[in-house]
Amino acid sequence: MIGNDVVDLDLAGRQSNWRRKGYLDKIFTPDEQHYILQAPDPDTVVWTLWTRKEAVYKIIRQQNGIRGFYPLRIATTHFENGTVCFDNQLFYTQTEVTATSIHTIALLIPTFDQVITLPLHQELFKIDEVPYVILDDKKHAVSKSHHGRFERVVGCRLSVVG
Amino acid sequence: MKQEAIIDQLKVIVKPYVTDEQAFSNLTEATDFINDLKINSANLIDVILDIEEFFAIEIDNTSMERMIDVQSAVAIITAKLEAQ
Repeated sequence: MIGNDVVDLDLAGRQSNWRRKGYLDKIFTPDEQHYILQAPDPDTVVWTLWTRKEAVYKIIRQQNGIRGFYPLRIATTHFENGTVCFDNQLFYTQTEVTATSIHTIALLIPTFDQVITLPLHQELFKIDEVPYVILDDKKHAVSKSHHGRFERVVGCRLSVVG
Repeated sequence: MKQEAIIDQLKVIVKPYVTDEQAFSNLTEATDFINDLKINSANLIDVILDIEEFFAIEIDNTSMERMIDVQSAVAIITAKLEAQ
């Protein structure tokens, strides 16, 4: 299983004011808030940690099928290496930060070398709202994210479904 | 506060964050904030904070987990108002 999330920094800056009173408390644990507020560039850290939570949430949804809004329970366990924990389960994340976007990929096993970025014209199918593609006659679970100017579809070669 | 009045107020609150105007004009109890109204999930926090401010209630983390559609939001707001 794989999850991803992309944030268009320009759009995020216009859409969201994370400095709003009470905002951080609804999303980030005290440790995460401390890490954000002491960072030289807190905006980058806010959206890095946020995309990690969103990418991990996409895997959790595939596992239990239950929708919900619980960003506080998806907590960073290691800020530098990107591990994230939910209900005692560990997830691995990798984040790419550019001047205009932040993109995070989450995996259950840290096989990031097996991750492939799919072309946006690739045909997507769905089982229970979870997207997959067909490559070499095999179904591969993929994750798709879109925000502002950016859209990313990623899959894992090892993640064969059905 | 009657359910219709809560829904009317909820519409005022979510409107600035809605990106699917068609779904907004057809809003019902079953309308989903993210799947139907296409509200960005980071803006769902703003919706929740706006609800807290307008109704003068506190949405605890357990309630927040269910805040994904109109029906759940109305149920949570009603319960919090009654508990006051």
